[in-house]
Amino acid sequence: MAKPVIMPKFGFTQETSVIVRWLVQPGQAVEQGDPIAEVSTDKVDMEVEAPESGILDGVRYAEGEEVPVTAIIAYIRQPDETLPPEAAAPEKPVEKATPPPPRPVFTPADAASPTRATPVAMRVAADLGVDIEQVPGSGPRGRVTRKDVETFAARASASPPAEDAPAGKVRAAPAARRLARELGVALSQVTGSGPRGRVQSADVRAAAARATTPERPPGVGESIPMAGMRKTIAGRMQQSWQQAPHITFDADIDVTALEDLRRRANANLPQGQPRVSLTALIVKACAWALQRHPRMNARLEGENILLLSEINIGVAVALEDGLIVPVVRQVDQKGARAIAADIAAAAARARAGKLRAEDMAPAGFTISNLGMFGVDRFTAIINPPEAGILAVGRARRQFVPDEHAQPVLRPIMSITLSADHRMVDGAIAARFLDDLRTALEHPDTILL
Amino acid sequence: MRELTYAEALRETLRQVMQEDPSVFMIGEDIGVYGGAFGVSAGLIDEFGPERIIDTPISEAGITGACIGAALTGMRPVGEIQFMDFITLAMEQLVLQAAKIRFMFGGKAKVPFVLRTPAGSGTGAAAQHSQSLENWFVHVPGLKVVMPSTPYDAKGLLRAAIYDDNPVIFVEHKLLYKTKGPVPEAPYEIPLGESKVVREGSDLTIVATSIMVKRSLEAADRLAQEGIQVEIIDPRTLKPLDMAPIEASVKKTGRALVVHEAVKTGGFGGEVVARIVESEAFDYLEAPVRRLAGLDIPIPYNRTLEFHTVPQVENIVDEARKLVQGGY
Amino acid sequence: MTSIAETPNYPTYLQEWGDAKALDLLRKMLLIRAFEEKAEALYALGRVHGTMHLSIGQEASAVGASLPLRPTDYLLNHHRGHGHCLAWFGSNVDLMMAEFLGKETGYCRGRGGSMHIANVESNNLGANGIVGGGIPIAAGVGLSIKLRKTDQVALVVFGDGATNEGAFHESLNMASIWDLPVIYYIENNQYAMSMPVKKAFNIERLSQRACAYGIPGVSIDGNDLFSVYEAVKEAAERARAGEGPTLIEALTYRWRGHSKSDRQAYRTREEVKEWQKRDPIRRFAKKLGLSDEELEALRQEAKDRIEQAVAFAEASPEPDVATIMEGVYA
Repeated sequence: MAKPVIMPKFGFTQETSVIVRWLVQPGQAVEQGDPIAEVSTDKVDMEVEAPESGILDGVRYAEGEEVPVTAIIAYIRQPDETLPPEAAAPEKPVEKATPPPPRPVFTPADAASPTRATPVAMRVAADLGVDIEQVPGSGPRGRVTRKDVETFAARASASPPAEDAPAGKVRAAPAARRLARELGVALSQVTGSGPRGRVQSADVRAAAARATTPERPPGVGESIPMAGMRKTIAGRMQQSWQQAPHITFDADIDVTALEDLRRRANANLPQGQPRVSLTALIVKACAWALQRHPRMNARLEGENILLLSEINIGVAVALEDGLIVPVVRQVDQKGARAIAADIAAAAARARAGKLRAEDMAPAGFTISNLGMFGVDRFTAIINPPEAGILAVGRARRQFVPDEHAQPVLRPIMSITLSADHRMVDGAIAARFLDDLRTALEHPDTILL
Repeated sequence: MRELTYAEALRETLRQVMQEDPSVFMIGEDIGVYGGAFGVSAGLIDEFGPERIIDTPISEAGITGACIGAALTGMRPVGEIQFMDFITLAMEQLVLQAAKIRFMFGGKAKVPFVLRTPAGSGTGAAAQHSQSLENWFVHVPGLKVVMPSTPYDAKGLLRAAIYDDNPVIFVEHKLLYKTKGPVPEAPYEIPLGESKVVREGSDLTIVATSIMVKRSLEAADRLAQEGIQVEIIDPRTLKPLDMAPIEASVKKTGRALVVHEAVKTGGFGGEVVARIVESEAFDYLEAPVRRLAGLDIPIPYNRTLEFHTVPQVENIVDEARKLVQGGY
Repeated sequence: MTSIAETPNYPTYLQEWGDAKALDLLRKMLLIRAFEEKAEALYALGRVHGTMHLSIGQEASAVGASLPLRPTDYLLNHHRGHGHCLAWFGSNVDLMMAEFLGKETGYCRGRGGSMHIANVESNNLGANGIVGGGIPIAAGVGLSIKLRKTDQVALVVFGDGATNEGAFHESLNMASIWDLPVIYYIENNQYAMSMPVKKAFNIERLSQRACAYGIPGVSIDGNDLFSVYEAVKEAAERARAGEGPTLIEALTYRWRGHSKSDRQAYRTREEVKEWQKRDPIRRFAKKLGLSDEELEALRQEAKDRIEQAVAFAEASPEPDVATIMEGVYA
């Protein structure tokens, strides 16, 4: 069978060869190893040799044609052989690859006359797309230098000089960027303390801290977050004020007898026992009155009025930054001294933050005495969900008419009862207050 | 613990290894009777004889080829190239043969040898006897590159290098030979490819090699008085490079400085900076990563010029301070 | 260049070997020839990557050089060394062909290719892509042999061009001062790449360089298998006796260009044809008394074996790209 002659691959990267010259014509005899064609590769011209002795035939490429490597270019047949059928099939010559467009070459003739600008300036102008004719020259005899071109280009595009960050970009250290992402801080809002105004992570941290405290108008000082006890009091007082319709009743009490009782209670006080205060006596009096008006010793629970079986009375204690209401339990069963001791102990525990569970036992009524602060009278907000609260002012010397209508100087104490109208109507509250007045003005009544 | 000089520490490993292992021998110029140009092999020929401490003609390519041939056939040679500058005469053997034989042969051969070589400036030996060319070899796959900075490290790393099954370039700075440090007597190995945190600090990470470790420590002491705490990491093995401690450190300090003697352009510092910036540590940088390295000039003869060609303690102090105080 | 007489001792060797062994040697030469021709054809078809350096016409040198040696000896080879690789102990033509085609089953897992074929476990320490690259290594092998006190020898084969590399000088000098058991074997095929020996040397015979090192040097007819055998045998005996290195210059000729892209403008077709008439294979076959038909039959056997090798290689897998990082470090 006729032996194909292939276009050999001569080099590492060779893809094609061009047939320069056929050295043998079809029909001519050749010996194995004879050169039959000259071909050119990208590097050098080579010869294709006959792989066998025989007759060259079936030449498939003409001189000047580009042939892919390993393609069949001809056949060597023996005199009695014919060419194989595929020898007749037309060959597609290789499409010449379009050469890449030539790089624009800057020639001095394209630009300003040689003496007007330095060669470097001309090249830079071409690179930057600057019309060098427009550029003022700072060199000798007005020669345009590279610097002139660059300055012109910078100004022309109105872009900031190289030192400034490009539009929309922030000069910031990687650590600052990460922190900004984590803390949700907009980098563009942060002033940088680093070199050339670079934002450092400390700047981001500072910005984040400032973000949590908004700007204050003049005259506004420290902002104290309401937390803990303050928050609790705020919540409870608001709830009480909003939800309990407060009805208030005032009474001016002649506390001559009460003060006298107090003096006697504190004389011969055993060593170590706390003094009996006016508050303790008032608490005792309240207990007596509450006994007679159970509706005043109650708590509101949902739709129900819970009447309490014990007479526990809350006594408001002022703390440094708040107030707390420990409860004196079973007041009706304690004498004034015991009550005073309880109040003192509870107050001490309250101030030390060491209140116990029994200090917070449920009560239906609270007393708040602000007389020691020079308050004449005030209205207290009910301690929810209690039925009422008694606000006690100071005892002040006033002239009042005696039984002979003669002015006498007596200690007069103003008290104000607030009652929750959902649980207690005016009449009940008034009657309670009336009994309380009796107990306070005539303490021996309690014995009866 | 007793103290040895860097040269003595190297000699101790050589002695200990050659006592244990008959496949280890030394080959190089003037290492036998002369005891080595820097005295590292002094006395070894008396103990091991000229068969194992082989003096050669001046033939760096020959020495290196001899190491390769012996390593290919079961031995563990320790060759010496008298000055790192002369390694240029052995480049073909080192780069085209030693580094590539294992890979070209499909992983079916190994070439275990160490080429020890004194490098560095500061002795007035001028341009052709003072170079630090380690980064050329970091660039060649198949080679390992080690640069111990202390006597302790030198002893341990040399043993590891000798028992490594690959060609290892072991670079010893000339000015380190006489430095002293604590060195245990018993043989020990420090694994190749482990960086060491030499000093802890929170304000700046310095990555330093060879003699720059010592200078960085001095600089760190001075900076501490100004309230700047520098953390220093010595890679010890340049290839393969252990980046983990360096990354962790830069994350902590946010600032990094690489210090080496070799010329800055194309030096090892570039590799370290690139790896820092490619790592997670990038997100923790407060400032650009800087390099302090040799000037782009051949080493001058004049003593003052030579001094100013490579980083000195003052340079490290100034650069570190500037980095920490927002100068970059 | 004046030719060198072949050794007159060939009848002795023929008798020593016997017919069977002699035929085996011929088969080896034919296998090498067939391998080279096939490699050439595969390359022209674009099936071999890179380039190759064919040693067609140098078969006697290849087979004769390793003939007097032992499997425990070492071979270091050059880039025109397919023949030496095939002639060496324990060689496998399938694995060689697979390496040529860059396959995973090749001697070097496809990572080395034509110029770097090695079979280290058979003490074939590899071909070398760098002219003279193996010469200093050979001295190292010789040193290792000496230190280990065995009676191995190292045969390092290189071309005329390599003897002008500085490393040649360093290695021979070291081998000479330490009496290393190295056989330095120059295959002088008259041309480096395009540089003729006439222009590159100021001496008549390359073996003259031996006197610079005080070692024996001998020039032989490298196309006569018996001459090659004899010279290497003597050198090996010297080496094993501790008498040091020998420099052998084997004159031969390569029929093909230096590599695949060599236009051979530096020599004439006539010169090539002249040398082809002195085909080492036909010379050897003639000495064995073979007819043309018998030789042709053996040639076909060799070609068939090579076809098998090609089939093996083509059926073999390519290296897995996932293993690309393997084999750099031990």
